Amino acid sequence: MDAVVIDGVTKRFDSITAVQDLSLRVEQGAVFGLLGPNGAGKTTSLRMIMHILVPDEGTVQVMGQPASERTQDLIGYLPEERGLYRRMKVREALVFLAAIKGLSEAEAGRRVGEWLERLELSAWAEKKINDLSKGMQQKAQFIGAVVHRPSLLILDEPFAGLDPVNAAIIKDIMLELRDKGSTIILSTHRMEQVEMMCDAICLVNHGRSVLAGDLRAIKKSYGKNTLRMEYEGDEKFLERPELVEKVNRFGAVVEAKLRPGADPQEILKAAVAAGVRVSRFELVEPPLNDIFIEKVSEANA
Amino acid sequence: MRKIWLIVKREYLTRVRSKGFIFSTIGLPLFSVGIFGVSLFLATRATDHTLKISILDNLGGLSTQIAAGLKGNLPNGKPHYEIVKILDRPASEEDARKGLNDQIRAGQLDGFVEVPKGVLEGNDASFYTSNTGDFSTLGTLGKAVDNAVIERRLSDRGVHVDDLPKLVHGVDMTMVKVSKSGETEEKGQTFVVGFSVVMVLYITLVVYGVATMRSVVEEKTTRIVEILASSVKPVYLLAGKILGVAAVGFTQYLIWGTCGMLLSGYGSTMASAMRPGASLPNIHVPTSLLVYALIFFVVGYLLYASFYAALGAMVSSEEELQQVQMPVTILIVVAFILYPIVIRDANSTTSVIISMVPFFAPILMVLRIALQTPPFWQIALCLAISILTTLGVVQFSSKIYRVGILMYGKRPSVVELLKWLKYT
Repeated sequence: MDAVVIDGVTKRFDSITAVQDLSLRVEQGAVFGLLGPNGAGKTTSLRMIMHILVPDEGTVQVMGQPASERTQDLIGYLPEERGLYRRMKVREALVFLAAIKGLSEAEAGRRVGEWLERLELSAWAEKKINDLSKGMQQKAQFIGAVVHRPSLLILDEPFAGLDPVNAAIIKDIMLELRDKGSTIILSTHRMEQVEMMCDAICLVNHGRSVLAGDLRAIKKSYGKNTLRMEYEGDEKFLERPELVEKVNRFGAVVEAKLRPGADPQEILKAAVAAGVRVSRFELVEPPLNDIFIEKVSEANA
Repeated sequence: MRKIWLIVKREYLTRVRSKGFIFSTIGLPLFSVGIFGVSLFLATRATDHTLKISILDNLGGLSTQIAAGLKGNLPNGKPHYEIVKILDRPASEEDARKGLNDQIRAGQLDGFVEVPKGVLEGNDASFYTSNTGDFSTLGTLGKAVDNAVIERRLSDRGVHVDDLPKLVHGVDMTMVKVSKSGETEEKGQTFVVGFSVVMVLYITLVVYGVATMRSVVEEKTTRIVEILASSVKPVYLLAGKILGVAAVGFTQYLIWGTCGMLLSGYGSTMASAMRPGASLPNIHVPTSLLVYALIFFVVGYLLYASFYAALGAMVSSEEELQQVQMPVTILIVVAFILYPIVIRDANSTTSVIISMVPFFAPILMVLRIALQTPPFWQIALCLAISILTTLGVVQFSSKIYRVGILMYGKRPSVVELLKWLKYT
């Protein structure tokens, strides 16, 4: 059974078609990346999965049932822009969120306590949300999304604003939940996070799916057409338009996209000839970032 | 249903526990009692020292009578006025006035009364003083001069007067309210009850309507509403919120009502203990009025609160609220400022018509019931119109709310709002 099946869904607001004939499947137990530029229709799609919006055409199924009030309780949601009741106490606010997802208040209280302990927020349980630092508020909100053990966890930019330590804690919890059988939909603009965590992706643009499937298979289909290099010296050796299509500089690392059929040996030779000291020279699959940009600009052209 | 209850409970508990609630519950009555008490205190304590007054009588022979009219003591037992000097027909009016003015400037005198020669023919008397804000003294002095002059005029015409105040005392009118239940002497209690009802309804509709709106905006700006909408139907969300805020309102009334009853019981006991025989004007609030007020409050609150909630859903920030809430607030304010029309004649055609308007009915129909119970068919018709309108507004508002809570950025135009109504 798939965790989510979206089939031929279209959603219009007046003259604007936010989502057009979108179909996608999210396998149960997977980490699924929903990607796309701003305004591509990601939020609208997520809202239809959560049954906040109803599609004009097509169907949405969650855990084998049509999206409905009943499926809502199976979902946990962390919205991109965070917020909790600022004047409520942390524990109270979280118990409320858990109860509204169907837990009894006693059960909600118990689980909120456990989670606060785990995320080292116990000392803040009786403080007002307003008194928490931004990072702590984020962690509290994450608890709100997972406390009712949702089968489907929808996370919109879960790491935004978190320091590396807290980001690692959240990441570990996500993977742990996945291992326990939860399905995770990750919506983010951080492609390196997608590459590290996601099993499958769907890239939407202008409300349509432009690229979907298993992430590894997608990358494989592009082949190892990218050179990842670190070196010291003049980069003139890369100015070979017949071999190199595009160069991306990241400071220390430089990525060069090769033209089809170009021989990377040629470039290495040129570098050595130019007296450049090469410390890294690796032929890799294109980064998701490049695929994203390529697909989106292709569609916009 | 369980989820509505959770929403109501959260809304209620966070509000009732907030400092704002405690403050307004204790503060508002204290404030109004305080204002009343302070003004009463200030009014009675306006002068706590004997005023030194002189009399400049240019006509002559009036000063004894005037002085007689200025007897009486302050609450602390000292005389109210001390007549420092009486100038009867001075050689020079100019010099006399100048001398007295100098004394006022030197602080030896609080003021003096000048009676002109032509006072019997209707010329004005004057009160010279450094403190021109003291109108109560002016009133007392005016009355004293008045009586002295009247007495002189009468005696000039051969009427001998011993006890003038008794002779010139006017006739007071008592108003008797005739209603189905009998006749009651009217000492303004109908007005007091009517006005209180109007004030209470007006303040409640505004305060709790706005509270509902703020609550919607808070959830929208913090984006909690997205989580809530992914858990509960927006209509339930709205219903829970409106009921929660209403429960807060009822709690506040319950507290005020209970304290009010206890205090008024205590107050009248104290009053009769201190001055046996004296009774406060008996303010009797008929149960039927309370029941009607409650019904109309519930309908009116639903009407306005759902309106306010829709407004809250339309904006993306607290700052925008001020502008959008104007139209609805104006409706309530208009209902409030129309009340004198109803008070003057509760059964005039104008009163009947304006009390039927659903947006005004919660205030004006209740006022009519308080003043002079209208025919039952009018109340029933009014209630029917109000309930139908409220159902319509609730329907409309919940649609706006459902769409609005998920929309950010530019405030929608009227055309866009109409389109929202069609969204699924």
